[in-house]
Parts: sequence; structure tokens; C-alpha cells
Amino acid sequence: MKTASELHFGERAIISDIDNSHPSFRRLLEIGFTPGQEIELVNSSAFNDPMAFALRGTLIAIRKHEADCIILS
Amino acid sequence: MNTASLEKLHLITLVGPPNSGKTTLFNQLSGKNFKTVNYPGSTVEYSTCKIQSKFGIQADVLDSPGIISLNPNSPDEEVSINSLYNHPELGSPHLVIATADASQISRHLLLAKQLIESGFNVIVAITMNDILANRGYEVDENKLSEQLGCGVVKVDGRSGIGIDKLLSCVKPKLSADADENTSHPFKAFENISKEKLLAMYSDIERIERNVIVPINYVSQPNIKKANEKLKILNPTLKYGSNRPDERTLKIDSYLLSRRLGLLFFFLIMAFTFTSIFWLAHPFMELVDEFFGYLSNSASGLLGNTWYSDLIADGIISGTGSVLVFLPQILILFLILGLLEDTGYLARGAMLIDKPLSKIGLNGKSFVPMLSGFACAIPAMLAARTISNKRERLLTIFIIPLMSCSARLPVYALLIAFLTPPDKAWLGGIALAGIYISSILGSLIVAAFINKFNKKIINTLDSSSFILELPAYRVPKIKNVIRNSFESAKQYIYRAGPIILVLSIAIWLLTYFPNHTPELNTDGLTHDEVVQMVKAERLSTSYAAALGKFIQPVMSPLGMDWRIGVSLIAAFAAREVFVSSLAMIFKVTDEDNLQSSILFAMKDAVNEETGKPLFTVPTIIGLIVFFIFAMQCISTVAVSKKETGGWRIPILQVVIFTATAYVFSFITVNLLVLVGF
Repeated sequence: MKTASELHFGERAIISDIDNSHPSFRRLLEIGFTPGQEIELVNSSAFNDPMAFALRGTLIAIRKHEADCIILS
Repeated sequence: MNTASLEKLHLITLVGPPNSGKTTLFNQLSGKNFKTVNYPGSTVEYSTCKIQSKFGIQADVLDSPGIISLNPNSPDEEVSINSLYNHPELGSPHLVIATADASQISRHLLLAKQLIESGFNVIVAITMNDILANRGYEVDENKLSEQLGCGVVKVDGRSGIGIDKLLSCVKPKLSADADENTSHPFKAFENISKEKLLAMYSDIERIERNVIVPINYVSQPNIKKANEKLKILNPTLKYGSNRPDERTLKIDSYLLSRRLGLLFFFLIMAFTFTSIFWLAHPFMELVDEFFGYLSNSASGLLGNTWYSDLIADGIISGTGSVLVFLPQILILFLILGLLEDTGYLARGAMLIDKPLSKIGLNGKSFVPMLSGFACAIPAMLAARTISNKRERLLTIFIIPLMSCSARLPVYALLIAFLTPPDKAWLGGIALAGIYISSILGSLIVAAFINKFNKKIINTLDSSSFILELPAYRVPKIKNVIRNSFESAKQYIYRAGPIILVLSIAIWLLTYFPNHTPELNTDGLTHDEVVQMVKAERLSTSYAAALGKFIQPVMSPLGMDWRIGVSLIAAFAAREVFVSSLAMIFKVTDEDNLQSSILFAMKDAVNEETGKPLFTVPTIIGLIVFFIFAMQCISTVAVSKKETGGWRIPILQVVIFTATAYVFSFITVNLLVLVGF
């Protein structure tokens, strides 16, 4: 099971689900990380955390552990 | 006038996600006439205005802080949502204008859709159409309006295109039936289920597929030009309409690059802080000379009387010695505004989230901390965007350590004392050093509290960092300048009265009770007599009595009661330190205020030891004191309000001031020991 935190730079993938047990899961959904959406890892900070994803026409930065609950298909 | 004009005006609330162009639209509607109001019981600020008369609609407009959904996630979002449902003073809106960014419409329609489902009377304003057009697409307004079941208008808040059309849609909605609408109870959206959210999104995605259409360039009159445009656009076309702004991605490949990102970040921050000193210098000289001239003419005009002294020394010099620093404050606000408007601030937050999270803070602490360099009060309010309570409290805790603009007057004076006037660049370096120490100091304090003391901040909460990085935009200079002036004005309103009152109070303390001392003045020139009278009056004044009481505390620092009195005055507001020194050393003799304070400081002798009072060790000791000490009453009050109790503000005062004293003591005595 691959998650968004394992993407390489420039790699694209489709979201299959968001882990419900994560405390940030609702906010991730609200901001647009929903199943079926395509995301791409565009940038990350010097420490590889947070990571910036292209999603729904914009860039969203999230922490690595938040990217971990975005399950890819 | 008929009675209708006395009735309450209709209320239009602007609602939208962050970075959706909401405030730009507000500026178009308000023109120059907006005011800032507080949400009652809190300090969240809202702008309200009447729609510009040229548009011919009578209504109030309320600009609320950005929200992502109607389900709040942080304290500031909660206030925004509450005020949207029912603002305690303004009531419920008759009409909601929801802004949505065309280039990321599927995200921004979520809020619009929730507003419609909640029963609000909604018009959707589509912004940022130029970014979507760069990708070769546009929004079909009519189709979107049909699918959402509400009015949809494309606007460009920057140029004002579309505003007329938006208002022609607003007009009929504000008719009689609008009043009925506000009486409906609105459905709340708290704790919306995952299934419901997903269903909403899939509905929005279906709408998006229908309303985003490729721009039909062939229908344009100039076909050749259109074809060229299409060629340029082709590379992005294959990604579809959901590709982020190309130019933004290109800029980010440098500014957020893994190797150079942090370097650029530090360069930008270094530039910000050095320019505060460099750019402001010529303007400060102007203000300085102006007040020097004013004070001189006042005392010349009023002669040798007590009220002449009060006006020239107390009021004009006192306020002047602080207003001198207005240019620096203005430039700081200006640069912060520019950084925010371009979209870089969010990136800064992302770049330092990891290091900050190591010491219990959050990337979102970055903007409040940065604002702390202007003033701690708006900075503490800005901390509301941090959803995690523990991180928010810790951010508020360390904000007073950020070198706020009220310290600038103090540092500028003390640095000017240390550096020769022909080497201004040395002052810049010294100031940079002070800023760096204040940042390091605050980080060490945060790390310390985070590690060892769960008693100071004892809430556990899951930490998170989710932040949109907005597309880079050329900042709208006019708005940035206007906001900077507005902030500077607020600063004067807030600090001005305190400075004035304290200046007069300190003048009174230094002038009475022995205001016309009897001295043996035989054989002395007029100037010598004036100096003697001043010295005698001061050394027998109330201020001296108060100062001698605290002398035992000041002696270990190599300072005397006069600095002590100024430090006490500085607890009301830091910049008062400068006006207080000016008052105690009675400097109005020269044309230039700051240089005359410096002149008096160089002459001052420690009354206890007989040695010069202001030496390299005492000046550096004072700088160290100001880096740490918590000296601002307004900050204490806001800290109490924002943290919901006295515990944190009291701890701040005790810990920071004790640290300031101890470090200052160590610095002064070490420097004396090594021979300064």
C-alpha cells in the first residue's frame, strides 16, 4: 500500500482513500485530497518535510506524517 | 430624507477561502472608505464599508477572514463562521458573496456549496480568471450559475472588470424578500461526515467538468495572434485545467529548491531587516530635524516659563523622540505586506516548519513570529491560525521576545552611541546582530519550555501543518502601501497617547517639587546658570527620589537611578525609554534631537561612582536587557486575553524580565572584566 509520502519528485498518482484514523483526515478532505484526485509531488522543504503537492490547480504543503495517511492506488 | 434611509442598511458579507481574492474585491467595493471593527468579545478584526456611492447601491459590506469550509478548524475560523451566521452587531447577512478562484474552482466551490446548502442567499464571484486563461481555459458563468442555482459573476478585483456586473446581480437580491431570507435559521455544518464531504466533492467535480471549457481563440478577431497564443499555451493544455500555475512552479523550483530554498529564505529575511535600517535613515533625519525645530521655536516663543518647558521638553521632545522611528516601522510593515502579497510568506512557513516543530512550534508560527517584529499585539492575534492549542500557546509565549518596532528607537539610540557617525553600516551590522540574538533567544526559550516544563503549557493536541502555497502574484503596490499606512496609523493611535501621557508624567516628576531652585549664581554666565538650575532641579525632584529607591538594583549593572527611572517608564511601552532619557537629560538645546541626546549621554556621569555613565559595557548591557525584558503593558493585556488567563502573561513578565536582568548583569560585568 503506497502513500503520498513515498512519491518521488514529479511523480503523479491517484488518491484511493484517506486514513480515517488520522486526526487531520477531515481537514485533508476539506482542502481537496479526495479519492479519485490526481496529485503530484512538486517540492519539499530542505528536510523533505513538509511536502508540497499539486492538487486541484494549486499547491498544498502538508507534513510527511499527513502525507502518510493519503493512500494511493 | 425619507424614513427608509434611517432603517438599517442591508448587509453583504464577503466569504471565501484564503487567497481567493476576497480582500481585493472588498477594496474595489469600498474605495478608500473602510473601517476596521472588532468582533465583540474578541480582537479578530473585520473591515466594513459602505459600497462606493458611484455604484448606486446602499449596503454595508463585511470582509471576513478566509475559511476553507463551514466546519471550523482553528480559533480564528470559529470566530469567522460564528460571525457569518450571526454577527452580534451587524446581524445575519442578507446576501453572501462567495469568492472562488477560477484556477482551483473544484476546491473553492466546496465553501460556496456549503453556503448555498446552509440557506444563505449566495452570489458566487469567480476570481483569478487570468491564471486559468494562461492554461487555455475559462469558466462558463451561465452554466455554473445553472448548476449551482445561484448568481455567478466573473470579476477581476485588480482591474475592477466585472464589478458592475456583480453589483447588477446584487441589486435585485437586496429587494424586499431579502429581509425574509435572514429570518431563516441556517443549517450548521459542524462535524460533517466523510461520506457527506465526498458526496459534495463528487458533485462539485461533476459541475467542474461541465463549466471549465477551453478558450475559443478562433472566435477572436486577430486569428494570427490567437494562434501564437495557442502555441505558447499548448504545453500546459495537455495537463488539463488542473495544473498549478506554470510560472509559480518555475519560481518555486528555485525558491523552494531543496538545496537553495533555505539560503533564499535567509537572504530574504536578511534583506528585510537590513532595509529597515538603511531605507529609513534619510526619512528619520527629516522627522528628527522637524521636531528639533518645533521644540526650539516653541521654547523661543514662550520664553523662560514652566509651561514653555512643559511644551518644549515634555510634549514636543517626548513625542518627537518616538515619532522619529515611524519611518522604520512603516518600512517594516511595507516589506511584510509585499512578502505576503507575492505569496512568499506561506513558503517561508513551509520551509521552517520542520525546525520549528522540533521545538514545539509549527510552520504556521512563522507569520505570527515575523509580525512580532512589527508589534507583539497583532502577532499574538495572528497566532489564532494555529489549530493546535499547545503550539499556539507556545507561539504566543515567545512572541514578546521578537524584536518589535518599539524596541527600534531604543536600539537605534544605543547603537548610535556605540558607532561613529561616519560608519553607518556598522550600525546595520549591530542591528542585525541584535535581531539574530533575539531570534536565537526566543528559539532557545521555546525549546526549553517545550522540553522541560509541561506546567507552563499543559495541553496535548495533535500537531498538523496543512497550508496552501498560493500562486505568485505581482503585488498590488497601491494596496500594500495603503495597508502599511493603515497599520502605522493604528500604531500611532495605540502608542501615541501612552507616550504623550508618560512624557508629561516624567516631565512632572523631573520638574517638581523644586522647580525654581535657589542657587548662588554670582559670577556665572547665563548659560552656566541655566545648566546649574536644571541639574539642581533634577537632583531634588520626585524622579530622583524614586530613582534612589531603586538604585540598589541598578548599581550591579553599573547604571544609576536616571537609567532606572527610564527603565521603569519603559515598562508602559518600550519606546518611552528614549523620550524619558531625553527628558531626564533635558535636551532641547540643539536643532537635532537625536544628536543632542547622544551629546548629553556622552557627558553624563554616574552620580555614585563619578565615572562616565554610558560606557560600552552599560550600553551593551542595556541592549541585552531590552532583548529579553517583557516591558509592554498592552502586550501583557493581549496575552491574558488570548491565552484565557493570567498564568501565561505573569510567567512571561517574570521569566523574561529576570532573564533580562541576569544576562544584562553578566554582560556588563564580563565586559568590564575584560577591560572595556
